[in-house]
Amino acid sequence: MAAERGGDSVSTRTEILALVRRYYAEKFGDRSFDAATDPVRYAGRVFGAEELCNLVDASLDFYLTAGRFTEQFEAGIADYFGVSDALFVNSGSSANLVALTALTSPRLGERQLRPGDEVLTVAAGFPSTVAPIVQNGLVPVFVDVRLSDYNVDPALLEAAVSPRTKAIMLAHTLGVPFDLDAVMELVEKHGLWLIEDNCDALGSRYRGTLTGTFGHLSTLSFYPAHHITTGEGGSVVTDDEELARIARSVRDWGRDCYCAGGENDTCGKRFAQQFGSLPYGYDHKYVYSHLGYNLKATDMQAAIGCAQLERLGDFTAARKANHATLLEALRPFEDRLLLPSAPANADPSWFCFVVTVCADAGFSRNELTRFLEANRVETRNLFSGNLLRHPAFEHIERRVAGELTNTDAIMERTFFVGVYPGLDEPRLEHMAEVFVRFMNGERADDGASGASSSRAG
Amino acid sequence: MAVVRRIPCVVEALEDHGEHVYTVHLRPGVQAPRFKPGQFLHLALDPYEPGGFWPDSRVFSIASPPEARELLAVTYAVKGDFTGRMERELRVGTSVWVKLPYGDFVVDGANDVVLFAGGTGVTAFTAFLHSLVSGAESRVLLCYGARRAELFVYQPLVEDCARRAPSFEARLFTEDRDGRLSVEAVWDSVTRLHAPIFYLSGPPSMLSAISAELCDHGVPPEVVKTDAWE
Repeated sequence: MAAERGGDSVSTRTEILALVRRYYAEKFGDRSFDAATDPVRYAGRVFGAEELCNLVDASLDFYLTAGRFTEQFEAGIADYFGVSDALFVNSGSSANLVALTALTSPRLGERQLRPGDEVLTVAAGFPSTVAPIVQNGLVPVFVDVRLSDYNVDPALLEAAVSPRTKAIMLAHTLGVPFDLDAVMELVEKHGLWLIEDNCDALGSRYRGTLTGTFGHLSTLSFYPAHHITTGEGGSVVTDDEELARIARSVRDWGRDCYCAGGENDTCGKRFAQQFGSLPYGYDHKYVYSHLGYNLKATDMQAAIGCAQLERLGDFTAARKANHATLLEALRPFEDRLLLPSAPANADPSWFCFVVTVCADAGFSRNELTRFLEANRVETRNLFSGNLLRHPAFEHIERRVAGELTNTDAIMERTFFVGVYPGLDEPRLEHMAEVFVRFMNGERADDGASGASSSRAG
Repeated sequence: MAVVRRIPCVVEALEDHGEHVYTVHLRPGVQAPRFKPGQFLHLALDPYEPGGFWPDSRVFSIASPPEARELLAVTYAVKGDFTGRMERELRVGTSVWVKLPYGDFVVDGANDVVLFAGGTGVTAFTAFLHSLVSGAESRVLLCYGARRAELFVYQPLVEDCARRAPSFEARLFTEDRDGRLSVEAVWDSVTRLHAPIFYLSGPPSMLSAISAELCDHGVPPEVVKTDAWE
């Protein structure tokens, strides 16, 4: 009913936040694990009292839309990458949509992507890497991937370039950097745009440099399965201020004005410009230079992100350590399981532990994942497998460069389990033990327990 | 435009240039964000409570170079209530809030450029001038007008540029001695440049006059960039 009015509100706020800390300890403090009953998730929110306090702090501001935490979070991401701009959006998928759509801006002149232009990508991934290409009337060109790291084969990528090719949009699959030497060479040779879908690779490095800083634009996801979380959330990252301004416009309804919500006339020209055939001086706040959306997130989400960003270094280290533990445990089974490996120059912040069942293993991927799930080890397929076999993508306008043999193999034989920082030694031990039991011949029907209650929503 | 940040600052030093023209040097309480020469900041005198709304503020070109973000400078002339408050309230040690960076009036040093500056409008160019290097291939012509010679606040910087950058030329005009800054008066210098871009910063009357004169001299409007303010 009223705006905050000083008084005791500051001390009340302090008291509330102290209670939140206590609540956190009471509610979330117990991280014990019972292998007989508890699931081992493939991913999950890892957070401390700071996240909860920031969230409540932001809610007590009741600013709701992008405010002080958003500003802090965006600045923190930009600083982390050492770039000029980071835009907080409401998901990684929105980040991909904003990034790709930004390249269709008329502000880019000759370099503007136009309907019919081709964008090189892969089908072995997440649909929202590809959907923005289709949504913008561009033509995705699908190239096969390698089974060693699930990333695009650079030789096939080069062979796929045509006179209509104008951009490359690729994910660093499951945290593993794609061959940036080869891709950047292609980008420079053919004057292409590069969007790095860095949603699964926050913290990964290539030749010591963070992925997400090589392309003209890159994207992040903060969905709970990802390296840090804001619940729903994502980001567009760029070191090009013109692209950043366009991306902000696309994110913010397509408006030309860049004033933050609740602010007016920060440019000093609100009523003093000419746009299109509008009357001179038409209110800049309501001038639209792009077909845009509202893809912003809230200050409460950003508040969580601020605390999560502080943990990123620890999270990255934990992911690497957990991955190494699983790799060591599964090495004895390399004759039947293709285990993950990082290519030269790549230092992944692993999204997960990915496994492909060898064609001659004597068991199927689904037999193995059924056993893992029955024993409360959560699994996921490598997202869509082959995206072109899904109903929404079967009939899109596209070009397929060569065969998608490995993409189909991934669809048939690949899956992953978790390495997220919430996995501790007992959970990893349980996971490894379940793998070992299966590899030693035990099957789901041989007495596994808890099958019906093992799946997370 | 880089991510805008709101940061507390303390007035580190004040320069009184006379005629109610001042330069304020601000020490940011946290690292100031990157900015480009020609961009501006918002300065608020009233406290900003994070989580609340930004208080009344005015915009000022960032006069200090981007390489020296530990000390931000703005130059202002007292022209209204807000700058009047600045004159009365700002002292060494005063706390203020700024948010930055804003604006796309950024000089592209890759081309030959002509910079028309009137009065404190020169601050839109000072960060660029600070960054001028001696070996630059493109040429810079600064046409700088002020009411009186004492109001050439940045004359030492201009002289320094002339010393270290052979590609730099300055034409200074004082109204009481040389008359108003005009395109005709500098056209001989302009014609020595190769396909220059024109940047205009100053009071509205000067901007409209110079714009019209450039048009009369056959300069296409697309190469004229104006730092227009309401």
